[in-house]
Amino acid sequence: MQQLTAIVTGASEGLGKSFAIELAGRDINLVLVALPGSGLPELASFIRKNFAVTVHHLEIDLTHTESYAEIFTWLKEQHITAHLLINNAGLGNWSWFEDKNIAFYKMQIELNVITPVLLTRLFLAQADASVTSYILNVGSLGGLFLVPKKQVYGATKSFIRYFTKCLQLELYGSNVKLSLLSPGGINTKPELLVMNNTLKGISKATVLEPEQVARIAIDGLLKGKKEIIPGVVNRLLVLLNSLLPAYIKDNIIKRRLNTILVS
Amino acid sequence: MKVLVTGATGFIGRQLCLALATAGYEVRALCRDTDHPYLITHPNIEPVLGNILYKQTLARAMDGCEQVYHTAAMAKMWCRNPDDYHETNVTGTRNVLETAKSCDVEKMVYTSTCGVWGPTIKHPMTETDPRITGFPIAYERTKYLAELEVQQFVKQGLPVVIVNPSRVYGEGPVTDSNTVGKMVSGYLKGTWRFIPGNGEQVANYAFLDDVVAGHIAAMSKGVMGERYILGGHDISFNTFFETLQLLSGKKLDMVRIPLKLIQFYSQLEWLKTRLTGIAPVFLPEFADRLKYDQKYSSNKAITQLDYRITPFAEGLSKTANYLRGLKNNDLGIKDNESRDSINPIHQGSELNQPAQLCNN
Repeated sequence: MQQLTAIVTGASEGLGKSFAIELAGRDINLVLVALPGSGLPELASFIRKNFAVTVHHLEIDLTHTESYAEIFTWLKEQHITAHLLINNAGLGNWSWFEDKNIAFYKMQIELNVITPVLLTRLFLAQADASVTSYILNVGSLGGLFLVPKKQVYGATKSFIRYFTKCLQLELYGSNVKLSLLSPGGINTKPELLVMNNTLKGISKATVLEPEQVARIAIDGLLKGKKEIIPGVVNRLLVLLNSLLPAYIKDNIIKRRLNTILVS
Repeated sequence: MKVLVTGATGFIGRQLCLALATAGYEVRALCRDTDHPYLITHPNIEPVLGNILYKQTLARAMDGCEQVYHTAAMAKMWCRNPDDYHETNVTGTRNVLETAKSCDVEKMVYTSTCGVWGPTIKHPMTETDPRITGFPIAYERTKYLAELEVQQFVKQGLPVVIVNPSRVYGEGPVTDSNTVGKMVSGYLKGTWRFIPGNGEQVANYAFLDDVVAGHIAAMSKGVMGERYILGGHDISFNTFFETLQLLSGKKLDMVRIPLKLIQFYSQLEWLKTRLTGIAPVFLPEFADRLKYDQKYSSNKAITQLDYRITPFAEGLSKTANYLRGLKNNDLGIKDNESRDSINPIHQGSELNQPAQLCNN
C-alpha cells in the first residue's frame, strides 16, 4: 500500500501532539503545522527518531490566512500529496464574554472557523481522487450543548458541526471521508490538568487523556465514521440530550450556571 | 557556605545532606520532625524544623543560605487526599521559589523526575523530547506543573537548575518512594516472586550516589533554567532479577503475571478504594504504564556536568548488601515517614508491592 501523508495543525501540544504520535504509529507520514516557538522541531525530531515515517514541520501562525497557499505550494514542490487533513488547531476559553478583549475573539474565530474551512478547501483541491482522502474536523461536545463561559468557543464548534455535516452530504459517494470529532474534556494544557483533576463524579468521567482521544479519533476517521464521540459517558450524555425535553435541559443549565456564579 | 536542603529525611535528600556535610558545607536540613529516624547526624548538619507548606518556617530556614536544594516532594503512589500531591509538589515548590527569591538565594537546584516524560517509544528520552501521553499519574502531573512554576521564576531571574532523576536505587531506608529498595528487599526475603508481563519492559535505574553527585554538580555547573536527566542504565525486569539472583546467590522461581490480569486486578483495586477507602495495592494508571518502556539518556548531564553512572551490577550489589544489613536493624523496614496520611504502600502486607513497578 502507498504510504499516506497527513497534515496536522496545532501539532506541537495537547491533542495535536497525540494525533502526530498516533498517526506515526500507524506508519503515516506527517506534515506538522504549529506556531513558531512551540516546540515543533523537537517533536518532529522525536518522531523521526522513534518511528519509521517522514516528518516535515512548518512553523506557521495559522491566523495569517495568506500563509495557507504557501503550505500547499510547498507540498507541491516537494511532490507530496496529502491524504489526511487533521483540522486540530483551535483556541479555547473559559471566561465570561466581557472578560476577554475583541482581539482574542477575532483570533479565536479566525483559528476555529476560518482556518479549517480554508484548509479543507485547499486540501480538497490537491487531493488524489484515485485514493481515499480523509478529513478530521475537531469539534467539541460544546458545539452540541450550551455551556456558559464558552459562548464564542461553543459557537465556533457549532459552526464546525454544521460545516462538517453539510460537507459530508456534498461529498457523499466521493472518495473523501469526512469525520467530526466531538470530544468532551481532554487533559491537555497545564491549567486544564489542574482544573480537570478537581472534577468529581460524572464530570470527571467525561474527561479523557489526549492519547485515548487521538486513538479513537483516527480509528473512527479511517473507518469513515461521520461523528466520533470518544468515551462512553460522553455518548450517554449525547443520547440523553436527544431524549430530554428542552425545559429540563434549560433547568439543568441554569442550575449549573448558578453553581458557576457562586464559585 | 550555608546551604538548605528540603526533604532532608527523604531518600535522596538525606544522602545529599551527608554528601554536602562531608564536603564541608554547613547544611540546614529542613524536616517536619527534627527527631526523624532517617535524619543523618553529622556535625555539619543542622536540623531545622519546618514545612514547605508554611512560608514563615521556610523563610527562617533559608535565612543566610546561599544555596538551596529543593528535594521535598510527595512521591507516593497513592494519597488518601488526592489534593496532597498538588499541595506538596506544586504549592510547596512555589513557596520554596518565592522564599528563595526574597532571601536572595544565589542558586537553587530543584529535584524533578524523569516521570515528567514518563513512557518512551524506542529510543531513550532526552531533555528536549516531548511527553507522549497525558498525565494520569498524579505524581508525574504535579511534578510537571511544579517545573512550570520553576520556569516562571527562572523568567523573573531566579537562578534555578532542574535535575530529573530516573528510578533511583541505592543504600538508603526503604521508604514509600524507594520503590527499588522494596523490590530488592522483598526478593531477598523471598516475598517478591513475580515479574509483570513477559519481563521485557525496560526502565532506567539511577544509583543514589550518582544522583546525589549529580545534584551537587548541577549546583556548580548547571545552567539556569536547564534540565538535566540524572539516570543510569536501561534495564528490563528480567535483567533486573537475573542480576539480583547472580549477586545475591538467592534463586527464586519467579512467576510471570500477564499484563491483562494485572490490569483487571488494578480495576478491582480501584473499585475497592472507591467503595471502602482502604489503600489500594495497585491502580489502573500504573497498570497502563506497564505497557511502555521508560528509557532515559543522561548524555547531557554526562557531557555538561561530568555526571557518572555506576555500573548496574555494582550499584545493585551495594544496595543488596546494605538492605541485608538493615534486616537486623529496624530502621529501614519500618516507615515512620507518613504521619500526615495513612501509609498506602507499606501497610504491613507484602502483597502490596506491585505498585513499585512503575514510578520513577
